[in-house]
Amino acid sequence: MLEIKDLHAGVDGTEIVKGISLSVNKGEVHAIMGPNGSGKSTLAKILSGHPAYEATSGEIIFDGQNLLEMDAEERSLAGVFMGFQYPVEVPGVNNAEFLRMAHNARRVKAGEEEVDPLDFDELLSEKMKMLGMEKKYKERNLNDGFSGGEKKKNEILQMAILEPKLSLLDETDSGLDIDALRIVSEGVNKLRNENNALILITHYQRLLDYIKPDFVHVLSQGKIVKSGDKALAIELESQGYDWVTTAD
Amino acid sequence: MSETIVESTEETAFLDLHKKFVEENKSSSALSAIHESALSRFEMLGFPHSKHEMYTYVNTKKLAATTFAVSNPSAKIDLIEKHIYSGCENSCLVFVNGVLDRSLSKLKDIESSVKISSLEEKSDTDTLLESVENENDVFACLTNAFCSDVTVVEFPDKGQVAVPIQALFVSTGNTSLPEMHSPRLLWKVGKLAEVKVIEKFVGMQEGYFTNMVQDWRVAEGAGVVLTQVQSDPFGAWNFHKTRVHIKRNARFHSANASSGSVLVHNHFEVRLEEEGAEVILNGVSVLKGKEQVHNFIRIHHEAPQCVSHQHFKNVINDEGRSSFDGTVIVNQGAQLTSANQLINNLMLSDDCHADNKPNLMIFADDVKCAHGATIGQIDEDQLFYLQTRGLSKKFAKELLTRSFAESIVQTIEFSEVVKELSNTLLKKLEVDNV
Repeated sequence: MLEIKDLHAGVDGTEIVKGISLSVNKGEVHAIMGPNGSGKSTLAKILSGHPAYEATSGEIIFDGQNLLEMDAEERSLAGVFMGFQYPVEVPGVNNAEFLRMAHNARRVKAGEEEVDPLDFDELLSEKMKMLGMEKKYKERNLNDGFSGGEKKKNEILQMAILEPKLSLLDETDSGLDIDALRIVSEGVNKLRNENNALILITHYQRLLDYIKPDFVHVLSQGKIVKSGDKALAIELESQGYDWVTTAD
Repeated sequence: MSETIVESTEETAFLDLHKKFVEENKSSSALSAIHESALSRFEMLGFPHSKHEMYTYVNTKKLAATTFAVSNPSAKIDLIEKHIYSGCENSCLVFVNGVLDRSLSKLKDIESSVKISSLEEKSDTDTLLESVENENDVFACLTNAFCSDVTVVEFPDKGQVAVPIQALFVSTGNTSLPEMHSPRLLWKVGKLAEVKVIEKFVGMQEGYFTNMVQDWRVAEGAGVVLTQVQSDPFGAWNFHKTRVHIKRNARFHSANASSGSVLVHNHFEVRLEEEGAEVILNGVSVLKGKEQVHNFIRIHHEAPQCVSHQHFKNVINDEGRSSFDGTVIVNQGAQLTSANQLINNLMLSDDCHADNKPNLMIFADDVKCAHGATIGQIDEDQLFYLQTRGLSKKFAKELLTRSFAESIVQTIEFSEVVKELSNTLLKKLEVDNV
């Protein structure tokens, strides 16, 4: 589904990602871990199409399309979802209405008719029930005044509505207490199926106790320095990153 | 100390116009006294130059240099109905070219509860004369000099008007010889009365100057909700001064939605005269092309425990221009005052312009006052976030600008007005290209 080939990328003329190659297939969960400054966030931003970040060489092929030639909106409509580490607040835009607009954008792209607010409300209620989310998420404005945990839950709600092929969750666990982490993880797990794929960018291992990865990759100084399975994550937890990053 | 007043041609032109106006209009002695006093005051003040405090950001040169005819109140008006809001079909005062037209007004629902008259009571005349003598706005002086009538609207003590009242100001316009209209109103709200009013300004075509002054006297415990919708064509000037006196525990809540024109000037002068008085002034404008809206606000806290809130938002595109000059004056003795003032400007082009001058003058020592102003573009992070959810850049921009303006529109109590503004004012935010 996703093929990253020798990607070099950076911001403001500074190269941060220095040659990453990665393959992600349907049904897989990949975890990307690494110390601060290793390039995890830059990779996420490049994949999402952030205008300030530039890929200087390499390729990213998603479902046979060249992702680097698509803007953020096109990527989203193609089925890429980015769960932000720090979701932006947009006061004045109602959350439910925003979700309906995003849902309708997808439907229009697929040649289907837009749904009206009443029909959408049914769909939204169903997804919210599945994720165990309270009514307030419908009534409030987009991330406006949400706590960190509420913002992350709202990202997962968006994921549930948009049904992406590839989800990229950037440090979704940061700032969450153990209960919120459990609820968010349960939500993510419910949305997984054999046709979609998940990339988790995380600093800490604990998220991976809840969302079990098939592959774990360690990023250091802009490159993947080691790949393995869940056991790798457990080793990192007990030994830290040094043993991997300095061994290179 | 003697001074020779040197009049420019602009003032002289208006003085001559006034002579003609007096000849053609038979006014009562009360009204004549107001005319005379106002004209002297106009002569004394003269049109503003760029250093004049009230018009620092407002270029009135072209307006002052325009030759006007005084309005023709008997002109025929079509299509009034489409401007009357649902719910006001039997509670609408229709002003044609600044003068109340009783034949076109629909007053069935309010004739028993509201008294609408011309200037009759000596106390009202005295009050107006006093305000004219102390008038600091030269354009308000012109209104008082050229008004062919003063419409007095009176709500009795404890009056509860079941329906909102609309005051519709329609101008015929004349593109070859622009007309000057001078609506002059006095609203008297009795003790504990509750009143809701919607004012709307429209024109059949360009070529007019609506120059209005209204006084609101809000008695103890009364509540007023006022909404103003300015929707004139581009080639029309709209100046209006709203002066409000608020007594003990009374409230005055106003929301102003301005579409702009070649020049719009909203002047609010509010006096919180007794303890517990409260004023809320909200405003939103959406400007394109060369449209302008200027807000000039003076709020006087004259007694303790009074509250004032102001929140104005401007969305400005192309070469639009706005200004906010707002001063809150807290008198000595106005302890426990609570005053807030916030202006937000969203700039959508390189050539648009916004001036902001929030100001506090505090002479009491136990008060809570705050003011702030922001000028910015569309938040790029918000724009990117919406795009990552599949919204096009164009759509996301419209959504963000609309939500910016909508927060003020949503404070308007009248759903019919909100609905209309969604299709008019907010529709101006639709982006033609990315």
